Formats: sequence, C-alpha cells, structure tokens
Amino acid sequence: MKKKAYIKADEAETSMGVFKGLEVRIGQIIDDEWDEPMGPTPMPGPTTLRSWDHKLLTKYTASYMPYCQVCCLCTMGKCDLSGDKRGACGLDMRGQQGRIVLAAANIGCSAHLAHSRHLIDYLIEEYGPRTRLIQGPGTEIHAPVSRLVTGMRPRTLEDASIILDYCETQLAHTLSATSTGQEGSWMDFESKVFHVGMIDQLSMEIADLAQVSTLGMPQADPDAPLVESGIGMIDTNKAVILTIGHNIIPAASITDYVTEKGLYDQVEVGGMCCTAWDMTRRDQKAKVIGPISWQLRYVRSGQADVVVVDEQCVRTDIVSEAKKVSTPVISTSDKAVMGLPDRSDDPVDSIIEELVSGKIPGAYISDHHKVGIIATRVALAVKPARRRKRFFPSAKKIQQLAQDCKKCMECVRACPNDQNVQEAVLAAQTGNMELLREVYNNCIGCVRCESACPNDYALHSWMAAVSQDSFKNETHVVRTGRGAVQDTEIRRVGQPIVFGEIPGIVAHVGCANYPGGGKDVHDMAEEFAKRRFIIVTSGCAAISAGHVKDENGQSIYERRSGEFDAGCVVNMGSCVANSHIAGAAIKIAAIFAKRNLRGNYAEIADYIHNRVGAVGISWGAMSQKAVAIAAGFWRLGVPVIVGPHGSKYRRMFLGRADRDRDWIVYDARTGERMYTAPGPEHLFYAAETVAEANVLTAKLCIRPNDTAKGRSIKLSHYVDLHERYMGFFPEDVWKYIRRNNDIPITLKDKILAQMKENKWKERPIPDPTMLKEQIFTGGEK
Amino acid sequence: MMRATPWQTGEICGPDAAKALTKAAQLKRDWRKTKKPLMIVGSQAPSIKHGRGDMVDYSIELSKAAKIPIVATGGAVKAFIERGFEDAKSMGAMELVGYLQDPTWKGPHGKGPHDMILTHSMQYYMEWTLLSGVMNFARHIVPVSLSRFYQPHATWSMPNLKEKNYRDLLKEILEFLGGSK
Ligand code: SF4
Ligand code: SF4
Ligand code: SF4
Repeated sequence: MKKKAYIKADEAETSMGVFKGLEVRIGQIIDDEWDEPMGPTPMPGPTTLRSWDHKLLTKYTASYMPYCQVCCLCTMGKCDLSGDKRGACGLDMRGQQGRIVLAAANIGCSAHLAHSRHLIDYLIEEYGPRTRLIQGPGTEIHAPVSRLVTGMRPRTLEDASIILDYCETQLAHTLSATSTGQEGSWMDFESKVFHVGMIDQLSMEIADLAQVSTLGMPQADPDAPLVESGIGMIDTNKAVILTIGHNIIPAASITDYVTEKGLYDQVEVGGMCCTAWDMTRRDQKAKVIGPISWQLRYVRSGQADVVVVDEQCVRTDIVSEAKKVSTPVISTSDKAVMGLPDRSDDPVDSIIEELVSGKIPGAYISDHHKVGIIATRVALAVKPARRRKRFFPSAKKIQQLAQDCKKCMECVRACPNDQNVQEAVLAAQTGNMELLREVYNNCIGCVRCESACPNDYALHSWMAAVSQDSFKNETHVVRTGRGAVQDTEIRRVGQPIVFGEIPGIVAHVGCANYPGGGKDVHDMAEEFAKRRFIIVTSGCAAISAGHVKDENGQSIYERRSGEFDAGCVVNMGSCVANSHIAGAAIKIAAIFAKRNLRGNYAEIADYIHNRVGAVGISWGAMSQKAVAIAAGFWRLGVPVIVGPHGSKYRRMFLGRADRDRDWIVYDARTGERMYTAPGPEHLFYAAETVAEANVLTAKLCIRPNDTAKGRSIKLSHYVDLHERYMGFFPEDVWKYIRRNNDIPITLKDKILAQMKENKWKERPIPDPTMLKEQIFTGGEK
Repeated sequence: MMRATPWQTGEICGPDAAKALTKAAQLKRDWRKTKKPLMIVGSQAPSIKHGRGDMVDYSIELSKAAKIPIVATGGAVKAFIERGFEDAKSMGAMELVGYLQDPTWKGPHGKGPHDMILTHSMQYYMEWTLLSGVMNFARHIVPVSLSRFYQPHATWSMPNLKEKNYRDLLKEILEFLGGSK
C-alpha cells in the first residue's frame, strides 16, 4: 500500500545534531502486513466513482426547487436563469442548483474535516504520532469507512493524519468545481456532492476514532453509561458552566479541571449539541442540557454562569445574547472567535479578573489547557451575585408590555414554523399565557419573531419565562454515545438484516430544526423500535429522542437496550459518530457476505443499496453538515428522509415507481437483467408530516434481495402504517410481490385481489447488482 | 396587508413572481385554457377552518363543482376518506414536484397530463418549495395557489389576505370555477 507520511517537529535531536523546524516528507510506506487484496479504487479522486454515481443519479432523478431564479456569484451577474436562460458563464438553472448544493456539501464537509484536523493535530501534540487507534473490543474490522475509501487501516494518529491529507485534497477539488467556469452539468455537480459526502464520512470516522482512542470515551460499548439530561437536571445551587458546539477539547479541559480539583460538588458542567455528548462520553458527571435550538432559552434564563463555545452550530450572536444576562463568554475555536479579544497568551489571573469584573464580555482563548481553569474559576466567582438576579420578565410584566402590541403580524410572518405569536401575545394581554407556552413547545429558538417585532419585544424570552415549569420537568436520563458497532453484533444481525427478517435499520440523526417540537423524533423512533427495527441515533436527534418519558417515567434509552439489535435504541454519539452508522452497514458486507472492503467502494455500495434495509432520518436537518452527512449515505445507496424544512435543501432524489426500466438489476448469477420492485423508492425525500415519514420509512426499507419471509414482514409493516396514517390499504403492494410466498398471510385476500386486478406475474428473486462487473460470469452473458 | 410581498419576508424568488389574485375572474383566461387541472391539498387542510367546516370540506365542494380531481399530501387523504369522499388520491408533496416535471405524466388519477395545479393548506415553506419546482421545471403547468398568504412561485397567488377577505375570495372562486365551465 502506498501512502504518504509527513513528520514535523519544532526541535528534533538526531545523531546529526539538533534540527529546528524540522519537516520530513516520506513518499511511500507499505502496509505489507495486511493480506486483504487491494480493490480497484483506493483513495478515489473526484471522478473515480463517477460511473457508480451516475447509476444512482439515473435511477433517482434530481428534482430541484430553486430558492430564487438568479445567480449572483460573479461580477458577470446577476444572471437571470429563469426559463431556458443561461448565465453569462453558460450555466443553466439545473446546473446552478447542483452547484449550490455542492457548495453546501463542501461547507458541511469542511466543518467536519477541519474539526477532525484540529483533533488529530492536537492529539498528536499531546500523545505523539504513534499513539494507537483503538475502536474497542470486538472491532477487528476497525475503521471500515477508511478501509473502504482509502484502502488503509489507520492504526496510529499518524495514519489518521495521512488520511486527512487525502480528505483535504479531495475537498479542495470538489470546492474548486463550484468556481465560475468549472463544472457545468447538474449530474457532475451531484456526483461531486456524493464524493464530498464520502470524504465527509471518512473525516468523521477519523475524528471519532481518534477521540475514542485517546480521551477515555466508551469504545464500541453497548452498555455506554446513562447520564442526566435536560434543563431540570442542572443544579443551580452550583456554579453552572454551559458548553456549546462540537469539539470536545476545550470542554474536556473543563471537566478535567473540575474533576482534578474535586469541584463537582460546587460546579455543574452542562453541554448543548454534540459537545454535550462527547463530554458525557468521557465524564458522566457532566450533563446533556439539550439540543442546539435550546441555546437561547437557556442562556437567557441566566442559569449559565459562563458560556464556553467551541465550533459549529453555535449562535453567532452568542456574545450579545450572553451580555444581556451578564454572562461571560469564552470562545475557543479559531473558526468561531465571535469578535472577542484574544487573551490566549495572557496570565490566567488577569483574564479571570477581567471576566469576573465584566470589563470584557468574554475572551478568545485558543490555549485549551487554560480554558478549564478560567471557566471554572470565573463561574464560581460570578455565581453568588447572579443567583440573586432574576433574568426572565414576570408574567405581570409580560402582560403589561403586551398591551402595546401593534397587531402587525410581523412576528408570525417571520416565524419559520408558522407559529401564531401575535395571537399568543394578544392572549397574554388578558393574562392568559397558555398560547405562549404552546408556541414555546413548537419553537426552534431562532428569535426571528423578535427581530421582526417593531416593539422589540423579547418574545422568545416571554415564551420561555411562562414555561419555566416545563424547564423543571426536563429531567431525563439518556444513554451517551457508544461509538462503533462491534463485529460480533454484526455477526448476529447481518443475516436477518440482509434477508429482511429484521425489517430495517432506522437512523435518527442530525439537527433540531423541528417543524413541531422534538417529541416527534422520539415518537418515530419508538414506533419503529416497537416493530423491532434497529434504531440508531446521534447528535441533537439523539437528545430529543431521549427527552420524552413513558408512563413509568423512563426514557427510550432506559427502557431499551443499547445493543445493535432488533428493538434496541443505539446512541452512537456526536455528529462525527454518524460514521459508525455507515460503518455498520459496510461491515455487514464484510462480515456476513465476506466481501473485501479495501479500496472497494462501488461493490460495497452496490451491496448495501440492494441488500441492507437502512434508512436515515434527519427530522430537524438544517445545516450544511447535514447535507454532507446525507451525501455520504447517498453514495452508499442508503435513502435519507428529512422533515419538511428539509425541502429547503432545494433538491430531492426521486425514483419513478411507474417506470419499470428504472428498477431493473442484473442477476449476479446469470447476468440476466431482471425487474425488481421500486425499492428503495427514493434516495432523498422531505416528508411533510410524521405520518408521511413513518409510512415512507417502512417502505424505504424494502430491498431487492429480501427473502420471501423478509419481504412479507416488511410489507406487513408498510401496510399497517399506511392504513393507520393514510386511512386506506396501499394500492401498490402487488408490485412488491415476487412470488406467492412474499404475501403476508394475514393480508392475503386483499393482496391477491390487487394482484389479479393488476395482472401480476410471478418473477424470480435475483441476486441483485447494478454493476456489470459483479456478474459471476464477468458480465459476458 | 394587501401588498403582494412574500408572506415569509425572505422568500423572494426572482424575475418571475406570482400575480396577485384578488378576484376570481382574474383566473378566467387561464381557467378557460386549462383542460386538466389538479388540486393539491396539504396536510393542514383538516385544521384550517372554513365556513362551518374546514379546508377538506371546501376542497370537496370545489372538486365536485369544478370537476377538479384532488391529490392530498402528507396524509391529508385520511380526512377525505373519513368524510366519504373516495376520489382523493394520496401522494407526497415532494413526489408530486418530481412527477409534475414530466409533461407526459398522467397524474395520480391517470387523467392527466395536468396543465394547471391549485395548491393550498400546506406549510408555507413546503408550498413554496413545491411551487418553485413547478414554476421552474414544469413550465407546461399553470400553478395557482389558493392559500391565504402570498406564494411568489405561483402564477396566481393571494396577496396576504385578511381572514374574512380570504374566506370571501374562496367562495367567489368556488362559484366562478364551479360555474364557468
Ligand atoms: S457564475 Fe455564471 S450564472 Fe452566476 S453570476 Fe457569474 S456568470 Fe452569471
Ligand atoms: S423564536 Fe420560535 S416563535 Fe419566534 S420565530 Fe423562531 S421559531 Fe418562531
Ligand atoms: S410583531 Fe410585535 S407588535 Fe407586531 S404583532 Fe407581533 S408582537 Fe405584536
């Protein structure tokens, strides 16, 4: 195996003398201990997998819904691209949409990749380049995404760094394709979206593998610890440090300091979004406060004595928001300095003094070792005075202020979730706060209503202020992220998944831009866990899934096991742990079907697409990172459903169930081309409602390879959910029947009638593949 | 409130933008030309009140009067079935955007290809994404929004009407489309 190595040292003592600023580049290292043969596409470039991409993009057409009809990306524009018009550079509307999606996917990938790079560089500095990468017990096939994409087995942090070099090169290529006068066809833009999605998945795997190996997080542990979660779990008798973002390093400095000094009886460390997961993966005394859209409600409550932000999904107005409640902010990432003065090199005591006195609203501290001590000491110092203050307005004050409402509806127009804020304000005029509470439940905390209000009402604070009882009831127990899935677990479930007897793997991942509150995520997860699908979660969705109690007061994580098995709910961890979901699907091909992974992308993606009934759901997807994550799954042929806001990603990948030719595969045994049913029917789809998403989830788990038993189980779920949510027996069940024994017994009469009506004919079950080279006869037949 | 500006104020669409629909008679030309209209009813229909009923009842009435087949999205079909209206079909809003771009597609009832769509009762943003797909890539179709708030990606859309004016205009449209063909 060829790979490049790069070694850098500020000062190195060698037999030849002492070198300052030493940099060594080694051209090739051979991994000759690995006997798995190299596949056809190690470290693919932007066009290496183009033909696989085009197969998918022909089967699933891009359906664009532009935000607007102009392009304003260069000075030859603005260009009007409406109708058949082209821009001055020659680009048409479809091309431009593909280009914007590619720009978004690049942005998303860059966030994960830069995060991963920061981690690797930091950890190499702390622990040395030869530090071993360990995914955990029972993970002989560790780093499956890396193996598949690069042909490498990353065994040390140094290897990880080499893989990131590759990722960085690929990102530069795919980003450059969006420049004026580069790529021109929508399909090639989309192929590059897939490419950068794959790179994103790889960089996430490296990030999580590195942190799991070095920072004391659970390693592929189905019994990952249960931890406390929710605003009500935060003990405000203690000083409270709130961390927000995705990068564990600054937060780790805090929890380590608090532990080292034995201060947990005086300090609470709570997190939002992925930093919360990664903190609790290392330290179970830390707490998960809530998903990313909880930022303002919590900051404005004044409960946090210090806010520490790292990177990604942090509110960009966090400093001015925290200032309103006199909370000091510490920014820690060079990607999100937030306008704060750089105090990285100043003495700790002077920084603490300035933050405590309020002389500066916050400080940028890039030296992570200092963050822990500063955040903790500042929080302890400012806490006593802060607890005497009240930060939210009283109900009486709200009622009084509300009297001046202009009834202009601007707040309603501004609300992305169509919440009737005006009506709630008018009700508050009479002292009725119920409607404000209702809005709060469906609110994503964007405060667009406030910026639109001519009276400058702090509307989001009003909602939160009158909902403080529900704050207190937010006392949940959630399972922190386990990391990868073990090979032994895959060995147990591989066959039932591929045969369809475990009807599917449903992954709830991503952000918290929910159309109607986070409970939907829980309800969807529970619906399918009950049906014995395997449910995996990560990121903010994993938090929301855990924020609902059943009649016994238990969360979904308390009542269901964290094993990768039917009916279980498995929290993988933070966003970067999404890579383990892909990893699990990839390992099914390696373990159950004994396929080689090494540099063998197209074959494995084809395997997964045709055999592994997995569906990703990101009900609150909002970020560019979510596009990149989804794109990594699309290239593996795994369908993704998003919530209604996801329609604003402006492009769906839709199959045409009515076009038989789109559902033809090769039978790998004979090379014969055979019709299969439309399964999975779409590759990317925004569902309008939970009802639609649930029905679609069941349907998108159907795969050409299902055995008769598997197919009949999958169809039973589909029919049941369809009847429940749509109110009638679905009209397309007959299409999915290949032989009579595919028919679920209890639905026999109805399906037989449908088959007769549609002149159904029996057809064989192929050994399905979309790749000619996978035909055993070598594609000769 | 009568200005034809996008309801969600950031939703500015480009050179093409819907004409403000304030009188049913404005639809005369397009309605006369249309041979195969399709009504797309969103998931909020059962919760949007209209007269003594809701937008499901209105849709049924309009469908019968003006002979416009209905496709309900996001599970709204259940409400039609529960009211004994068996002619509504069910599809996803995003599926519809894709299929409508094909000028040969026969539609959910097999009665197409459709040359006009009338949409309403969807989340505001989902209606505009749907309409954007149609406006830009299904140019054989005249998209008409029957929602209360201005949808710039349609050909015709109401300019953010007051509740009462909206109800009145819906009635007028029912009478006009129901009586004019
Ligand atoms: S990039 Fe092309 S379409 Fe965009 S403004 Fe420039 S010339 Fe016009
Ligand atoms: S803060 Fe909440 S209510 Fe206000 S606009 Fe955003 S989602 Fe709507
Ligand atoms: S924007 Fe402000 S003034 Fe206008 S209706 Fe809403 S709360 Fe009242």
